[in-house]
Amino acid sequence: MEKVDMLLEPLKAFLAQVGIFLPRLALAFVVLIAGWLLAKVIRFAAVKALRAVNFNVLTEHAGMDAFLRQGGIESDTTDIFGALIYWLVIFATLVIAFNSLGLSYVTDLFGQVVTFVPKVIVALLILAFGAYFARFIYNSVVAYCSNVGIQDAELLGKLSQYAIVVFVVLISLDQMNVGGDIIRQSFLIILAGVVFALALAFGIGGQRWAAGLLERWLPRQNKDGE
Amino acid sequence: MAESIRNRKSELEDDPLWHKDAVIYQVHVRAFNDSNRDGIGDFQGLTEKLEYVRDLGATAIWLLPFYPSPLKDDGYDISDYHNVHPDYGTRADFGQFMREAHRLGLRVITELVINHTSDQNPWFQAARRAPVDSSKRNFYVWSNTDQKWPETRIIFTDTESSNWAWDPVAKAYYWHRFFSHQPDLNFDNPSVVKAVLRVMRHWFDMGVDGVRLDAIPYLIERDGTNNENLPETHQLLKHLRAELDRDYKNRVFLAEANQWPEDVSEYFGQGDECHMAYHFPLMPRIYMAIAQEDRHPVVDIMRQTPDIPESCQWAIFLRNHDELTLEMVTSKERDYMYQTYAADSRARINLGIRRRLAPLMQNDSDCIKLMNSLLFSMPGSPIIYYGDEIGMGDNIYLGDRNAVRTPMQWSPDRNAGFSRADPQRLFLPPIMDSIYGYEAVNVESQLRDPSSLLHWMRRILAVRKTSQAFGRGRITFLRPGNRKVLAYLREYGEEVILCVANVSRSAQPVELDLARYRGRVPVELLGRNPFPPVGELPYLLTLPAHGFFWFRLAVDVEVPQWHAERLAREDLPVLVLFDGWTSFFRDRVVPWRIRMAEKIRAQFEQEVLPRHLESQRWYAAKGEVIKRAKLTDYVQWSVGRQSWLLPLVETEGGTEAATYFVPLALAWESTDEERLRALAPATIAKVRQQANVGAMADALADEPFCRAVVQAIAKRVELSTANGKLRFVPTEAFTGLAGESMAELAVGRPQAQSSNTVVTLGDRLFLKGYRRIRAGVNPELEIGRYLTEVARFANCAPVAGALEYVGNDGTPMTLALLQGYVANQGDGWTYTVAYLERFFENNRMAAEPVDADAHGAYLALVRTLGQRTAELHRAFALQSGDPAFEPEPVTPDDLMKFKRSVREEAVATLKFLERQIGQLVLTSRQQAQVLLDGQKQLLARIDGCAMPTGPTLKTRYHGDYHLGQVLLTNNDFLIIDFEGEPARPLTERTVKHSPLRDVAGMLRSFNYARWTALRKVMQAPEDGARLAPLATTWEPQARGAFLEAYDEATRGSDLYASFEEVQGLLQLFELEKALYELRYEINNRPGWARIPLEGILALTGLIQAG
Repeated sequence: MEKVDMLLEPLKAFLAQVGIFLPRLALAFVVLIAGWLLAKVIRFAAVKALRAVNFNVLTEHAGMDAFLRQGGIESDTTDIFGALIYWLVIFATLVIAFNSLGLSYVTDLFGQVVTFVPKVIVALLILAFGAYFARFIYNSVVAYCSNVGIQDAELLGKLSQYAIVVFVVLISLDQMNVGGDIIRQSFLIILAGVVFALALAFGIGGQRWAAGLLERWLPRQNKDGE
Repeated sequence: MAESIRNRKSELEDDPLWHKDAVIYQVHVRAFNDSNRDGIGDFQGLTEKLEYVRDLGATAIWLLPFYPSPLKDDGYDISDYHNVHPDYGTRADFGQFMREAHRLGLRVITELVINHTSDQNPWFQAARRAPVDSSKRNFYVWSNTDQKWPETRIIFTDTESSNWAWDPVAKAYYWHRFFSHQPDLNFDNPSVVKAVLRVMRHWFDMGVDGVRLDAIPYLIERDGTNNENLPETHQLLKHLRAELDRDYKNRVFLAEANQWPEDVSEYFGQGDECHMAYHFPLMPRIYMAIAQEDRHPVVDIMRQTPDIPESCQWAIFLRNHDELTLEMVTSKERDYMYQTYAADSRARINLGIRRRLAPLMQNDSDCIKLMNSLLFSMPGSPIIYYGDEIGMGDNIYLGDRNAVRTPMQWSPDRNAGFSRADPQRLFLPPIMDSIYGYEAVNVESQLRDPSSLLHWMRRILAVRKTSQAFGRGRITFLRPGNRKVLAYLREYGEEVILCVANVSRSAQPVELDLARYRGRVPVELLGRNPFPPVGELPYLLTLPAHGFFWFRLAVDVEVPQWHAERLAREDLPVLVLFDGWTSFFRDRVVPWRIRMAEKIRAQFEQEVLPRHLESQRWYAAKGEVIKRAKLTDYVQWSVGRQSWLLPLVETEGGTEAATYFVPLALAWESTDEERLRALAPATIAKVRQQANVGAMADALADEPFCRAVVQAIAKRVELSTANGKLRFVPTEAFTGLAGESMAELAVGRPQAQSSNTVVTLGDRLFLKGYRRIRAGVNPELEIGRYLTEVARFANCAPVAGALEYVGNDGTPMTLALLQGYVANQGDGWTYTVAYLERFFENNRMAAEPVDADAHGAYLALVRTLGQRTAELHRAFALQSGDPAFEPEPVTPDDLMKFKRSVREEAVATLKFLERQIGQLVLTSRQQAQVLLDGQKQLLARIDGCAMPTGPTLKTRYHGDYHLGQVLLTNNDFLIIDFEGEPARPLTERTVKHSPLRDVAGMLRSFNYARWTALRKVMQAPEDGARLAPLATTWEPQARGAFLEAYDEATRGSDLYASFEEVQGLLQLFELEKALYELRYEINNRPGWARIPLEGILALTGLIQAG
């Protein structure tokens, strides 16, 4: 009898554990399903809200939607936001679900993803506003330069726009902690390269002019010295 | 007798201010007409010719002295104040003359010469014999020396050396300001005043309406003065006036005081001396202005003219029985005048020129007309000297001032028709030279010559009578830069007359500053033509040599249709945009602009668009205020760098919501300044986007837009709008019509019409943008396409393409139509009315009856019109297979329905007429009453219309057919505008019906043309008697020709079994059309209700046609 008891004990314990686990599992499923539904609702609401405040117009004006379409993506930035929020909720639900199952490792993993998604969202926002700002700067520069009568208004506008876009991209990458030092350093190298190239171009191109200037200044300085 | 006096009084209006609007005709009884063959004119002769004076347009007649007199000074030396000179007739003759003049509405002004008498006057004869200092002696002014009052000037310098003359009987010197045989009366003697008052009463009791007080500045003498304009003289005048006002009504004093205006104006007193006074200095200055070709003399003298009391009036003249006096000009000016107008020293007398107007102007008719136009438009009542209205000449070889006192020239007969006496008995020989002689210049021939000076004078006087501003208005001189142009305004109450005269011998341009009257439409008074309205810029006019214009600056006249405004309105609203068209759409802007977009949209829909729509010709609900113009659908259409907004706008706030098509263009100052300027007149609002300003305008005024539309039609472009689609579709005929070089076609200026806006592209295409949009295909497109592609009817504008809108629910709407351009000479309506006006004008004066074939050329045109109409109807009767156009037989049921509907309409119209009868003018009210009383006959007439028994067809038809819908091209007609009645819904317009409705519409149009033309040419009520019968004969001729040609050309078609048997149906439709017109006129133009009323009455047989 005792033997049977001994044999039954693990089973009992197992069943007891199963008895404890099953409700948890059920709960996890319930949470998951609820989360999934919630995610859908929140995605819908978020997309609606974003469209209501004309966020799609902003990204369209910023040129992001066109960029996405070029990459073969059918949906626009607003939909991507929706997707991100959707997944954020899904992952949050997963965290809760796994946590309730006590799978702490998996929970941690998903926890990291959950903390990462908002960064992506923020980065995307920075990208959207930054690109719009770049576009705005482009328009202003072109308008100003054509008014003043500078010939290469278009080129200058594009230059300033791309410069800003580069910064914005870096900031958003930085926001996501992607790339880190490599990107920072390569950016510095490129920037230094550009500045150096410009210095060289102006230096060589303006050699005579500079010489003329020097000649005009130096004798007088000499005289002053005497 | 009492009866006759009462009658006489009723002829003249009771108007105490009649002298302010008077036109005075100055006559010498002796020189006007001789009835008793004694060679001297008389009262009976004058009485015979009074109708001539009335017909000329004069309202008063001024007689030179006709009293017994030795005639040493043309009757101004009076020997008996109470009688008529036996040469001129008796007092009874004078009474008869007075009665006749008053019967004809002419007032009579006579002479009251009170400064002096003849030395033959019994008063003088008694005075010279009376004892010194007796009252009798003191009737005159005596002195023992001729050196008294040496400061007093001598007036007749040519004949007199002193103002004193010795009388051997009285043994003293007597005072005379004029000839020595004209002793001056002494008004310090109360008996003289009493005697003069007696004379005055004598003539006023005879019915005289006014007296001219001759030489009044000289009445009284005082030591130490120059004896002119003395205060005592004014005292005496006030006394005379008080006597006049006490006993008489509507009588006037006319002062003759050859003085400067400031001195003359004292003779008006405070309105308690003379009613009228001559403006002497104006006259030589009008001549000066012409001689010097400079307006200055006239402007200058009018500036020096003081204001006069309200009840007083200047009397102005160009010539009179005296010399053209140059006392009132400086000596330098006098020399100039002598050189210009009296190179022959014989023409000079005293300080003046003894010539008539025509020889002074060297018989230049333009100059004579210009002088008269100035006279008639200057402030004052004009005086016309007899003979000047026909341009009579003078004879400077006759003594004294007899040069201008020769007999009136009535006809080329013996003695100029003035007298049947032996030519040698005439008091003066008539003018007989080859230019001014009576054979060349006389009333009879000028009456027969419609372009004669006499007819011109009659017309201009008739025009002058149309406005009291000429007589009573304030004068304001304009100062245009060109000094050769005299321009002034005459303003009286709301009425403003602008007179512009070119005083030079060559054509002159002038720019007038009429800013005060911006928006008014100048209407030229002789032709009653509207000119372009007064705008922002100085008003530019070009005047021919010695030309002049009289304009009424009207507020109630429409701007000429061809006029296009070139400048933008100044008070346009400003829309602040931030992103072009996108700024209007809240869901198309970045998040932080949403509020702003909503605000701009609201401003656009509630202020900018409503105000624009309301002011457009094509806005259907005229006068109704739009609360909001909502964009129901739109598309932003970009071609190249340009971008337009094509919205459908729904109006809210009127009685019914309506949809309008309002394509819009934006132009910016920084990038397309030229386009901005071109759009200026069509600008709806100014726009600003940051530092960039520009304009939003009607895109149909935008050249690139019109081109883009044509190109889009060629390419069959389709645009998706928010709630539907825009389709540009060409027809088969497109390529042929548009040609190869579409891009080079010159785009014309848009012309707004009643329901659409049209733009021409070169001489190939015609783009018509519909404004009020209704669901369904516009019949003009549908029918146009049918006639172009299926029936190949040549006499209509071919359709090249269209712009259609298809909503999401599939209903099509036609927004624009592209047609082939057809060169034309204007529409049939304008042509017909102008033709009739010309016809009436030519026959206004003619005495002979009109030839039977007078309308030959016009009727040939009408016949062509009948034929084309028939061809159109045959085209509609083709078996095409298209259910929309397939002809259907008229069933007896249909016939019943036609009759029933006309009957119902008749009853409804009469009810409506009864309600609205109060709004009609008097004459139409009487006719309306006849119609209301004759309701039974009207209904019987409708029931009695014989219905055809043979087969007839129901087809599509024009629907709104009248003379305005046919264009004249090289003696042929093009039929246009198949839109039907724009006010009706499309479904009603596309129903098939008997094409006879079109025929009936055209017949009514002839009737309208007749009345419209008549109305335009009628200047005086008496014109009607002459012109109405002419109009009455024209209409049946035009109708007959039209119907005959129509009948001929429809014969052999399936339309009617025979044209005779559909006559009843035609009459029915004519009645229907007239009933419709009556309703329309009562609603829109009650003043015109008479035309359809007469039409209905004539059709019903309640009055004789015509």
